[in-house]
Amino acid sequence: MRILALLILAYTPFLYPLPIWDYWPWLLIPLTAGVAIVYKSVKCQSMRQVPREALVIFVWILVGMAAAAGALAGVVRFVVER
Amino acid sequence: MPTRPADNVINSSPPVVALAGWVLPGLGYWLIGQRGRALACGLTILIVFLGGILIAGVRVVQAPDMTGPGNTFQRVLQRPWFIGQVLTGPMGITAAMISDKLAASPTYRDIETKARLAEIGTLYTAVAGMLNLLTIIDASHRAGRVR
Repeated sequence: MRILALLILAYTPFLYPLPIWDYWPWLLIPLTAGVAIVYKSVKCQSMRQVPREALVIFVWILVGMAAAAGALAGVVRFVVER
Repeated sequence: MPTRPADNVINSSPPVVALAGWVLPGLGYWLIGQRGRALACGLTILIVFLGGILIAGVRVVQAPDMTGPGNTFQRVLQRPWFIGQVLTGPMGITAAMISDKLAASPTYRDIETKARLAEIGTLYTAVAGMLNLLTIIDASHRAGRVR
């Protein structure tokens, strides 16, 4: 705990890595949002459609990632570790 | 009263639009008068790239060592993610230059992220570049239609 506090005090943004080692799976969310916004901005004819379309594809990517993670965890547990 | 897209067109030459899109993400769309698309794509790509550097530190952008052994192709393949990162334009090149300077500095040379955070930072910065490639291709294609 003390080491973590010292690391946070010494932290300089953009030079040191962000002290979020235990929360790395959550970093999928901003990247997915970025990909969804740019992809739909390129794809949609009108920019009015983008917020709704980007939200839909954002949710679908997260659902797909969660399904892939579940399937891979199942393979590891029931095939590799057996 | 909304202006027609054609009123905002500054330059619609596809090569100029492609180059502008590489120099600053979203600038290609801006030149062909698609301001909303320019801001949405440009700001998102910028945030994703800077997010990658924020997560893993600037040392995550590393240019290949072109003085090393092997031919040019082999040297580039030592750090293949830089191909994606350099597609963000001068922003990616500047980050690589800062990273090189830090690697040569006795104070900062040991500060280099490893393992998961390095992978995630690399992924963010390279995906930002690949998204910019997508916008460059789309903007120059739309520029051809504007003409």
